[in-house]
Amino acid sequence: MAREFDHLFKLLIIGDSGVGKSCLLLRFADNTFSGSYITTIGVDFKIRTLEINGERVKLQIWDTAGQERFRTITSTYYRGTHGVIVVYDVTNGESFANVKRWLHEIEQNCDVVNKVLVGNKNDCPSRKVVVTEDAQRFANQMNIPLFETSAKENINVEEMFLTITKMVLKSKLDMKERQNVTKDTVHLKNNIKTKKKCC
Amino acid sequence: MNHDEIKSVVQEKFLSSERVTAFLCDAKVLHPEWVKKDRLLAIVEFGDEKAVFCLFTSCYPPKSFTDLSIEIVLPIDKSFKCEIDNKPSDPEAILYLNLQSRSNKYKFEIQMTPRVDNFVDDLFRGIEAVNKVPTQPDFVWLKKYTGKIDNDILTHTMALPGGVPHTQSSAPVAIRESLIKHKMSDKEYEYTFTKKFSIFCGTWNVNDKSPVIPLKDWLSVDREPPDIYAVGFQELDLSKETFLFDQTFREDEWYSAVIKYVDKRAKYVKVEKVRLVGMMLIVLIKEKHLSHVRNVVCDTVGTGIMGKMGNKGGVSIRFDLHSTSLCFVNSHLAAHVEEFERRNQDFRDICNRTRFVQPNQLPKSIKDHDQVYWLGDLNYRITELDPTTVKKLCNENSFAPVLEWDQLKQQHKLNNVFSGYTEGEINFKPTYKYDPGTDNWDSSEKNRAPAWCDRIFWKGENIVQLGYRSHPSLNISDHKPVSAIFNSSIKIIDEEKYRKVYEEVIKQLDKMENELIPQVKVDRTEIDFETVRYLELQVRTITIKNVGKLPVEFEFIKKLDETSFCKEWLIVEPYKKCICAEETCEIQLKVLINKTSACKMNAGTDKLYDILVLHLYGGKDIFITINGTYQRSCFGCSIEVLVNLNMPIKEVPVGKLIELENKRDSCVANQCTYSIPKEIWFLVDHIYLHGLKEPNLFEQPGFHSEVLQIRDWLDSGSIDPIPGSIHSVAEALLLLLESTADPIIPYNLQSVCLRASANYLQCKQIIMELPEFRKNVFLYLCEFLQEALQHSAENGLDSKTLSTLFGAIFLRDNPNQTQEPQSRINRQVIDKKKAQFVYHFLVNDHSDLIFSR
Repeated sequence: MAREFDHLFKLLIIGDSGVGKSCLLLRFADNTFSGSYITTIGVDFKIRTLEINGERVKLQIWDTAGQERFRTITSTYYRGTHGVIVVYDVTNGESFANVKRWLHEIEQNCDVVNKVLVGNKNDCPSRKVVVTEDAQRFANQMNIPLFETSAKENINVEEMFLTITKMVLKSKLDMKERQNVTKDTVHLKNNIKTKKKCC
Repeated sequence: MNHDEIKSVVQEKFLSSERVTAFLCDAKVLHPEWVKKDRLLAIVEFGDEKAVFCLFTSCYPPKSFTDLSIEIVLPIDKSFKCEIDNKPSDPEAILYLNLQSRSNKYKFEIQMTPRVDNFVDDLFRGIEAVNKVPTQPDFVWLKKYTGKIDNDILTHTMALPGGVPHTQSSAPVAIRESLIKHKMSDKEYEYTFTKKFSIFCGTWNVNDKSPVIPLKDWLSVDREPPDIYAVGFQELDLSKETFLFDQTFREDEWYSAVIKYVDKRAKYVKVEKVRLVGMMLIVLIKEKHLSHVRNVVCDTVGTGIMGKMGNKGGVSIRFDLHSTSLCFVNSHLAAHVEEFERRNQDFRDICNRTRFVQPNQLPKSIKDHDQVYWLGDLNYRITELDPTTVKKLCNENSFAPVLEWDQLKQQHKLNNVFSGYTEGEINFKPTYKYDPGTDNWDSSEKNRAPAWCDRIFWKGENIVQLGYRSHPSLNISDHKPVSAIFNSSIKIIDEEKYRKVYEEVIKQLDKMENELIPQVKVDRTEIDFETVRYLELQVRTITIKNVGKLPVEFEFIKKLDETSFCKEWLIVEPYKKCICAEETCEIQLKVLINKTSACKMNAGTDKLYDILVLHLYGGKDIFITINGTYQRSCFGCSIEVLVNLNMPIKEVPVGKLIELENKRDSCVANQCTYSIPKEIWFLVDHIYLHGLKEPNLFEQPGFHSEVLQIRDWLDSGSIDPIPGSIHSVAEALLLLLESTADPIIPYNLQSVCLRASANYLQCKQIIMELPEFRKNVFLYLCEFLQEALQHSAENGLDSKTLSTLFGAIFLRDNPNQTQEPQSRINRQVIDKKKAQFVYHFLVNDHSDLIFSR
């Protein structure tokens, strides 16, 4: 039963510069954290394999540069993405305000895609400025699941990635089912055609 | 996804210098261990060398090169052989491709499609080509796919010793599956625990009898009901019909009897039942364990008449209980006192010929099990001891001296049979041969010595025999039944722990895979060229270091919707290269603003800013930002802008320049404008005053450094005299005229001019209608050139040369207009016409035009 994986999904992490996108990826893929800040100049990816309901899902997770000047270039990497993780920094109100712009970017560059909203750096209550209620209200409004995470303290990171992966997997399976239904109908039609010919 | 799309995915798996020339997507590799596996076959070419690659794809069709992993690499060298067979049963549809390279042989099954022809053609072209060259190609490029190029190691990347990550291999994915298996079995102790199961094994040669007596005293004698029963019978039915047709009603009789007399304190269910002629094996298990029984398979082997028939032989049942594989064998070996060699051979035949076939798995034999229990009428006798002595000793329960002469004990000791198996101590009377219905030794004339024909052996770890006995009260046969009870450790997987360990292993492998993603360090990602001046080349260097474990190929790639990976004023060298691990590569970035880019910089339609995408094959992209400030110059300005500038360009604010450039078309003469650009006037006046007699005027090039000095002089409005030689000034003049945003005669008039070139009057007419400042410049320059021609004796000029030179400048081709590639002759005709056009104005008096202003 040699199979490396049943599904391969591409996930994309976007959000303002410095909100901790690379740290989330590093935590999830390598279970490590580095306190020193190295800004991502470009796009990088790591892989991780998960098992969900007995199905092996291989994730290719792309981490993008958040800086404004790279925005037009990074948007070209949205193609073929199955799920997008939009990250803001709970200690930085501006990064939360910019979430709308990032969601707009997704709309401009992707087809139907699964999304999660992530408030990272949720490990120091005294520095938190984006209150959960506000974020939750916004998330509900946009109909996107919200996660408050800390890559540093490893809080909620695994859960967040697991959720988006499950969403993507569900979309794929639903789509397959719909395709099967249409295939069946086509089949029926063909049968009718041949029958007519026979007559 | 069509063939070409898949091909491009396959191509991505290789470096761009390694070209996939042909490939097949529906090949199957046939290998004794892999059975049949779907694979992709590709022929890849690097320079003159070709190799066949067999690729595994994790999904079909492969969506990305990461789905593919290289399994087999066969270099097409002189040792390479290719033979093609048809499948005998289906010659039209199936083809067998036998490939051999060095000492590696592979067989592939291929569906006949039109693509197969291409593939095979390409293959044979490769073979022919390699046999034409006298030397053996070295296939250095394959090293990265195989780790080593040495003969035998080529294809061994998959068979990893000890699960050590093979960091040199670029195909970690292919080995992933076997690594998982290997690591999981290494860590088995972390997620399994053992539980004791009691196993009852019974054997009885019933000598063609029906079960007319209760079996309770044989099957239900232990303190606790056993977890498993394995009950074997021999000689169930000795009738000819049974032997020939292998059917007997006794099967059901004895099976029902067993079910009836097993321990009543527990509920048992059948695992499996198997029979061959008179040999039957029944395996029962407590109902509560049934859900942990998997992969039940049975097999029978006849070793009787002709070595094939089922009057002798063995029947076996195997299954997995939790995580332990169990195998039960019931055998009836060859008879007759002296035939112990035959019995040994029967044992070996049963071992060799028993095959448990399971779907999607390799067939298992008896030895492939954690625990084996072997019972039966093994038929070994007592020799070298006379029957009377045997009977006497046995009647005194003195078995040891008799067992010394037991053939089976002897053969076992010599490792001729049951090697690796154990038998418990025999503390019961021989079980053969009795007068049926009694406990009396056989009273027939043969007077044979009694023997322990009926025996039980076992093999495996953590098995303890608790009892080994005969049951003489069951006396209907000439044999007595025998049984053994075992206490055996069964491995059980702790699902929770298993998942944890599994996840850890997967994570470890993911980490390994992540470490194999190409990684480089770039010393800087922002390059500031600071002030860049017209025609002054600036160079910066960045250093890329390969900090990963594999060679990495980088390339600067185009951004979406762009035709080139960088702006026209930037040169990147090299823009593509392969760097070995730990090595570095220096990349030179050169900026040069020349006559084509200067006007865009001046007009603000382009600026010294670009982001380059440095792509690593199979890895990340790095963005490199290029920055600089262009110092605007009169070179690259439009005529209309220059006439508006009554101060040196350096003093004009950038915004003002851009504004002027943008509305140059609506520029009209007024009291603030010059009639011609002062820069042109300065240069022309200088030549007029100091250089008309200069030999080789306009033909000898100036010095680059002097041209730059002249540029600065013009841009900053110095009061010093113009620097540099006459030739440098002349070159600066030509450059200035060439770098204007559009030529003196606008692009849209070019074709009209060319058509009119033979007719001076028409040419004059065109010039008359030129925009004001263009006309001024044109006529001014022509007047000047006529003046220069006056001194042709000294400066060596002639009107032909001058008209050719200036024709190309006045009627400059539009670089943005993509023209059809012109033939040389066509090109010459056009150039001639341009020259002809200008020629008129160099040889005719056109002062009428000047005075008509």
